Amino acid sequence: MRKSVACMAVLLGAPLLGLARAATADTPAAHPDLSGVWEVTLGVRTRPGPRRPEAPVLTPEYAQKLADFQAAQARGEDQETPQANCVPPGMPGIMNQPYPMELLFTPGKITIVIEAYSQTRRIFMDGRKHPDDPDLTYNGHSIGHWDGDTLVVDSVGFSPDTALGPSQGYRHSDQMHIVERFRLTAPDTMEVVTTIDDAKALAKPLTATKVLKRHPDWDIAEYICEQNNRNRSDSQGKAGIILTH
Amino acid sequence: MTSLATRLGSGVLWLGLAAAPPAVLAHHSYAMFDMSQTLTLQGTIRDFQWTNPHSWIWIDVAGAKGPEQWGIEGMSPNYLARRGWTKHTLKPGDKVSVLIHPLKGAEHGGSFLSVTLADGSVMRQSGGPPPASSAP
Repeated sequence: MRKSVACMAVLLGAPLLGLARAATADTPAAHPDLSGVWEVTLGVRTRPGPRRPEAPVLTPEYAQKLADFQAAQARGEDQETPQANCVPPGMPGIMNQPYPMELLFTPGKITIVIEAYSQTRRIFMDGRKHPDDPDLTYNGHSIGHWDGDTLVVDSVGFSPDTALGPSQGYRHSDQMHIVERFRLTAPDTMEVVTTIDDAKALAKPLTATKVLKRHPDWDIAEYICEQNNRNRSDSQGKAGIILTH
Repeated sequence: MTSLATRLGSGVLWLGLAAAPPAVLAHHSYAMFDMSQTLTLQGTIRDFQWTNPHSWIWIDVAGAKGPEQWGIEGMSPNYLARRGWTKHTLKPGDKVSVLIHPLKGAEHGGSFLSVTLADGSVMRQSGGPPPASSAP
């Protein structure tokens, strides 16, 4: 497959330099090669700006939800996230885990295999639009296109069951819309600029930049959260730990 | 904290306040651990669970009132395996010293920081030597 794609690129006269390889059969122009296993880095920056992540600016309705959450925490409730019970975080949190993800390029589709919680995102590159009335899911419905050297992924259709972050008190609505711009800044360094808007929850769009490092010698491993989870929280969200061996 | 003070036996060395390194975010809150405190457990490995979502080190130590079994939570095998650990890094019967953040309560548990093996080598979540300051 790789050989055939490379041959096509040669036939089309595309440069076959390290960063430029034909990504899919239906995108014959050479695009930057974003394939492989990537890990979110901590503290690596690709552009100037404040070090601390931008805080969400919530609408009054969602600011009240946050205040209610913080009041519950002050009472000792809601100490834990659903992830303590092995529920995946959904978007955008699933893209900010301490475990790597693998980007796979096949004709018309990019698949992101996320190690944490064994999650998968599918990004349709075949020109389709979002459904008019998408089912609401944790990871949403994603379509992508190339803007020069940048892969632009547009996602909608998110279940409000998941949090916006940085804590569970920051909620999003079913109107959340996420645009991610993936770009190589060095052969094995990728910047992802994520912009989130939500007409119900956010008073202004929220932008965050992260940097990922490619690990050519890594493979995605199994992650079965329920295998030996000793951190279940109770129905009030109180943290627990099971110490019986 | 009297419960902590009274449970200290020969195998449990109280180090008191220490500068807590930032926790690597895993799948749950670390609010249950006292991240401002560190404790050293000296004892014998009973079991090393190479499992998700966390590895667990089970260690028998000599407590003030008799033998104690402690459970120490570490990062998942997925994280550790990429940093020099294997499922054989700790074996039942190994004599080790484990540095932890203890639970806030009186239960015998904690969050893993580092382990010193019988040969004197040290393994952190970020891997073995060189020390963590030069780790990625």
